[in-house]
Amino acid sequence: MSNDLIDRYLDDLRDDVRDLPKRRQDELVAEIKDHIDSALAEMPNRDEVSVRNVLERLGDPADIADEARDRMGIPRAKAGIREIAAVILLLIGGIVIPVLGWIIGLLLLWSSPVWTSRDKLIGSLIIPGGLMLPFELFFFASYTCSGSGPCGPSGLEQALITIGFALAVAAPVVTSIYLTRRASILTRG
Amino acid sequence: MRRMVVPRSSSLIAQLRRGVLEYCVLAMLKSEERYAFDLVRALAEATGMETSEGTIYPLLSRLRRDGTVETTWQESPSGPPRRYYRLTTKGSKALKEFREEWIRFRDAVDVLLEEG
Repeated sequence: MSNDLIDRYLDDLRDDVRDLPKRRQDELVAEIKDHIDSALAEMPNRDEVSVRNVLERLGDPADIADEARDRMGIPRAKAGIREIAAVILLLIGGIVIPVLGWIIGLLLLWSSPVWTSRDKLIGSLIIPGGLMLPFELFFFASYTCSGSGPCGPSGLEQALITIGFALAVAAPVVTSIYLTRRASILTRG
Repeated sequence: MRRMVVPRSSSLIAQLRRGVLEYCVLAMLKSEERYAFDLVRALAEATGMETSEGTIYPLLSRLRRDGTVETTWQESPSGPPRRYYRLTTKGSKALKEFREEWIRFRDAVDVLLEEG
């Protein structure tokens, strides 16, 4: 339990300093970790109360990150044109310029300091192409059924296709919302 | 801006404290080298509880890069090696200059406040 608190604190810190140069991030996190270890070594026991007190005195990871940016003269990474373009292109770029539009979105996503690697992986994998896939499927499905006579899948298949289609639309939309929120969390201030 | 919701007077004090904090670090290292943890704890206590311990580390990192302090790793009687800070010649010089400026500034402000 107390170790979970420390891990969560250090994870939050790492997340808050993600726009700093990698070496500075590692250095700061290592120093804070040493500090926690030293502080706990002075406590009579390493229970939850001790850990909470140590973390309380260290302060909010977001404040430490702000201070690090200030002292290093690095402006806080702000979501700008690049981030807006990345989110839009990831979602519908593949429809406007097939495949290439999405790839440009991907490059913008990975070059931005605003998102963590985890955010970038989510943005890349859910779902490659964005809305391109459901868009193509939709047209493909209507094309195959344009002939006369009985056509198309049975009722059950139809239901499954509808669910799949809805998921293929919902997943990239949810990812876009997620990326937008993550970008604005860092930009808050 | 989060800072702007802080009441004005305490924000001014916070700015002042923040500005002189690096010289407080140098002053604390004047006579002896200190273990990072002890330095940070002593500094947070000396400057009031508003300085959270974690925010001192970015400052230490900057002072290292400025060359006003230097660090060495030393064996600890218990546990892993510890990082110690000490003042460099450049640091002593910066401290001495600040001390003179500060005394002039402090005296001037005191005179004005007492007259007012």
